[in-house]
Amino acid sequence: MVRKKQLLYFILAAVIFLAADLWMYSSLTSSFSRYVQERDYNEVRLFVQTAPEDEADVGEWIQGVHSVIPGSQALYFTYDENLFDFSPAQYSGNEISSILTSLENTADLKNGFDSAYYLEAVILDTSSRVTYNGALVDAQLFIAPVIDENGYEARGALLIAVPTGAASAYSNLLMTLAIGAAVAFLLISWVVSFSRDAVTGFMVLGLFIIVGIFVAYPLIEAIRLSFTQDGSFSLAKWRLALSPSYIVALWGSLRLGVSTATASTILGFLIAFLVERTSFKRKKVVSTLATMPVISPPFSLSLSIILLFGNNGLISKQLLHLNTVSIYGLGGLTLVQSISMFPIAFLTISGVLRQIDSTVEDASLDLSASRWQTFTNITFPLAVPGILSAWMLVFTNSLADFANPLLLSGNLRVLSTEAYMMVTGRMNDLGGGAVLSFLLLMPTVTAFMVQRFWVSRKSFVTVTGKPSTTLTELTNTKVRNALSVFVWAVLGFILMLYLTIVAGAFVVNWGIDYSFTLANWKAIPDSWDSIVSTLTLAAIATPLAGIIAMVGAMLIVRKKFPGKRLLEVLMMTPYAIPGTLIGIAYVIAFNRQPLLLVGTGAIIVINYVIRELPVGLENGITALHQIDPSIEEAAQDLGADVPTVFRTIVLPLVRPAFISSMSYTFVRAMTAVSAIIFLVSAKWYHLTIKILSYSENLRFGLASVLCTILIVIILGVFSLLQVLVKDNRLTQKTISSR
Amino acid sequence: MEKKSVSVTLNDVTKRFKNIKGKEDVIAVKGADFVVEGGELVTLLGPSGCGKTTTLRMIAGFELPTKGSIHIGEEDVTFLPPNKRDTATMFQSYGLFPHMSVHDNVAYGLKLRKVEHKEINRRVQEALDLVGLGTYGDRAPGKLSGGQQQRVALARSLIVAPAVLLLDEPLSNLDALLREQMRVEIRRIQKSLSITAVYVTHDRVEAMSLSDRVIVMKDGVIRQIGSPDLIYEEPNSRFVAGFVGKAAFLPVTVTGIQGTGYTCRLLEKDVPVATSAFQAKEGEKGVLMARPESLRVVEKGQGYIDGRVKMNVYLGNSLESFIQTPFGELLVQIDDPHSKRVFPEGEEVSIDFSPDRVRLLAESEE
Repeated sequence: MVRKKQLLYFILAAVIFLAADLWMYSSLTSSFSRYVQERDYNEVRLFVQTAPEDEADVGEWIQGVHSVIPGSQALYFTYDENLFDFSPAQYSGNEISSILTSLENTADLKNGFDSAYYLEAVILDTSSRVTYNGALVDAQLFIAPVIDENGYEARGALLIAVPTGAASAYSNLLMTLAIGAAVAFLLISWVVSFSRDAVTGFMVLGLFIIVGIFVAYPLIEAIRLSFTQDGSFSLAKWRLALSPSYIVALWGSLRLGVSTATASTILGFLIAFLVERTSFKRKKVVSTLATMPVISPPFSLSLSIILLFGNNGLISKQLLHLNTVSIYGLGGLTLVQSISMFPIAFLTISGVLRQIDSTVEDASLDLSASRWQTFTNITFPLAVPGILSAWMLVFTNSLADFANPLLLSGNLRVLSTEAYMMVTGRMNDLGGGAVLSFLLLMPTVTAFMVQRFWVSRKSFVTVTGKPSTTLTELTNTKVRNALSVFVWAVLGFILMLYLTIVAGAFVVNWGIDYSFTLANWKAIPDSWDSIVSTLTLAAIATPLAGIIAMVGAMLIVRKKFPGKRLLEVLMMTPYAIPGTLIGIAYVIAFNRQPLLLVGTGAIIVINYVIRELPVGLENGITALHQIDPSIEEAAQDLGADVPTVFRTIVLPLVRPAFISSMSYTFVRAMTAVSAIIFLVSAKWYHLTIKILSYSENLRFGLASVLCTILIVIILGVFSLLQVLVKDNRLTQKTISSR
Repeated sequence: MEKKSVSVTLNDVTKRFKNIKGKEDVIAVKGADFVVEGGELVTLLGPSGCGKTTTLRMIAGFELPTKGSIHIGEEDVTFLPPNKRDTATMFQSYGLFPHMSVHDNVAYGLKLRKVEHKEINRRVQEALDLVGLGTYGDRAPGKLSGGQQQRVALARSLIVAPAVLLLDEPLSNLDALLREQMRVEIRRIQKSLSITAVYVTHDRVEAMSLSDRVIVMKDGVIRQIGSPDLIYEEPNSRFVAGFVGKAAFLPVTVTGIQGTGYTCRLLEKDVPVATSAFQAKEGEKGVLMARPESLRVVEKGQGYIDGRVKMNVYLGNSLESFIQTPFGELLVQIDDPHSKRVFPEGEEVSIDFSPDRVRLLAESEE
């Protein structure tokens, strides 16, 4: 509701501020450009005093002008006493002579020469452009007299073009800041004057600014750079990316994705079925073990697979003496990825299986179907949407995975690592890396869309009446035993992989010398800085991500404001984007003023927060939907303002979601690789990158030590947070609902 | 908790909800214009979707009016957020804070007002005693019965001594017996504290028994405002008549006008009618509204409408006799049936009424 008086005040305030803003901008730029001009003027005057006495040396002197006054070009005139005129003699570049051609017969040039005759250096009014550092930039023209040894007469004159690069960069920065200040002022005063509830307005504004700067802006910059070559529009990068040499990598990514997704889904389904739909006893243990790989650092499984099955692996070499089979490549990668990612499938599918009401199975059995028929006709079809979305999720994750391919891809080329090579390798091509990551985005987004709009629509679950508490046994003892033996074997294998890492930490030189040592533990003091910075950054990001996600969830679920849908989409976007792309986009977007963040710890924290926001947001939204809105309304009605309602009511009520999204963020921050690898700096280093460099240098002992440390820290913090979730005596069942 | 009673004034308040995905805008409340006097309990009564809850939520500040203004006392609160208004709402679902004990729930409003700790404890105890839950302070709200939760919500609202108490169908989640108890309780407390109160319900018995005045709403429009007695006896339309009680509507034609009264032709008989809801012209069609308790079953040919007893339903203190007539089935309520003559099912009878117990209404169904 816009009221006239407020609108008037707003417009008045806006006009005054804009005028002041403009005035400050123009006086700052003009004073700075005057300062630059004066400095250049003085430099030019100093330069002409260094003129050699011998006319023969003038050529060399002129050539050196661009190093004395950076990027400048000069043209030397001799003074002809007979003609009373200056005539061009020497020049330092072709550009300056064409500038002279354009100045020919102008009053500007004539005035310049007149002044030179009276031993006065002048700044010309005509502006020009010269090439500096490969780009055409604005330049200021000067004419300065070269005075003879007596100091009375000009024996010649110099026309010098000095690039005004510094001034224009400064003026651009000022412009950005001035526009930024204006936008910020307008938005803030808009919220203050028109929103009934200013705090909510500021929260919405804050979130929009966060996602605008840290989600939309980097992606737009990355897209822009991907279409740019040498400062102008070009399709060259896309042409390169779609050339056969990179299509191979896309093909590799897709093959890996399909095989990993299929293997993980099958494995996940079997375990989920055993846990959710049979009378199997040790469900808790199996579920816990099966989710382990989710919280372990990304290199750990690759590392132990290399230790066991690599070229010098314990099993492949020492036990089986295999020399022909290599773990590097599609097979090994599929194995490692499947083990790391089947928990995703397991969690998704067990969620769906748990919701299938066993009365429908009872009904089927009652209608004299066999157990196998019941499974194939009832249970399995009901689980299909869950299975499909599990497949899609794993597929997306496999494509985005960066850590495992980096160590294990061998001859298989995949896009995520190719993008990394493109950026860090010889080519140092950020735009190219961005293009390859975009290529990766297409199958990912397709899978995401299919999952979101097609699979979820086909979901059958939820349309059941009163759920039955008993479980119908669909397996006979034989099948169940076979299934549990298989599942135990898989889990045993996973456990063995972790134990291998621990073992690796105590061995002198894996593959060659298996004697016991504690020498590897020097990795801890060596990497102490990285351990501290990894923990610090994760500890900062964790509560931030949690709070922002919960505030976002509250705004989206409970408040009405324009652009809500857009905000939600922007907040969810990072979920679908591979880490490699986010990392590259951040490097592209935040490497210059006023947002010079590359190399700071802040960019890493921001990256964690932004990337884990979607999961926290979903958790928060789900939790809030289960809470009766009148609880918050009652609090507000009793006099609590929006922040108080959030602090005293919303946050305590969504605490389980809050804490679980915080623990998720923490784990992900501790195990991050794909985006972080572009963002770490000497000062802010990450343990996983350290593990990677140790592994690449075949220093497996040191890598194992760090891996073990990381796992211990994560497990510690994770269980601490789990304890916190459990301690909610009142909230458990008392949330009233309509 | 004593405070001067203040009035609530709605001035041409309209609420339009923006369309969602191609649907048309919904006008939830249209030109609501009424005053709730200080210390008065006014009920907003109407079928679901009539805009009564939206009206209440605008008074509380949870919704903003699209048009019009709302005053509490002298203060214009139209654009104030709920926390800046001196109102307290009791919600249909109570809205108790599940993560706080009963004591903390009730104390919440005082804590926000930075009342001293000892004072809070004293007043919470007082409030809990008032609603008969003095010993329940340590319980979690989830461990209480519906009626107890309701009373905690009441105590929580009353403790901040609001100028206006807003009640949004507070009894609809309770069973019948408890509902009656709470109704009396709410009325007692409201009267003793003489708080201005607005009560929303779709239950006409609740509305009748609680209110000083009733506002009947339909489709966002206020249809009639008046005391329960007035609304029941002198409804201004068929809708109001039917919504606040059972009624028979007998189609008639106006044949004569005598001052404020009319003569109407019902079938072949002329009926003198004392009151009318509208200015009828001669020859105009209308309906006679008759309450079941004002109808009598008499011998065939002795009343206005002939018919046959279809079914008798014995209810203890009364008997409902369904009579098949040319206007369809009409209900006659016979109070204290043991002292009256009851015609058995199947018998040919006639329905009679005294002219001052019927009211002429416009023909329109509305």
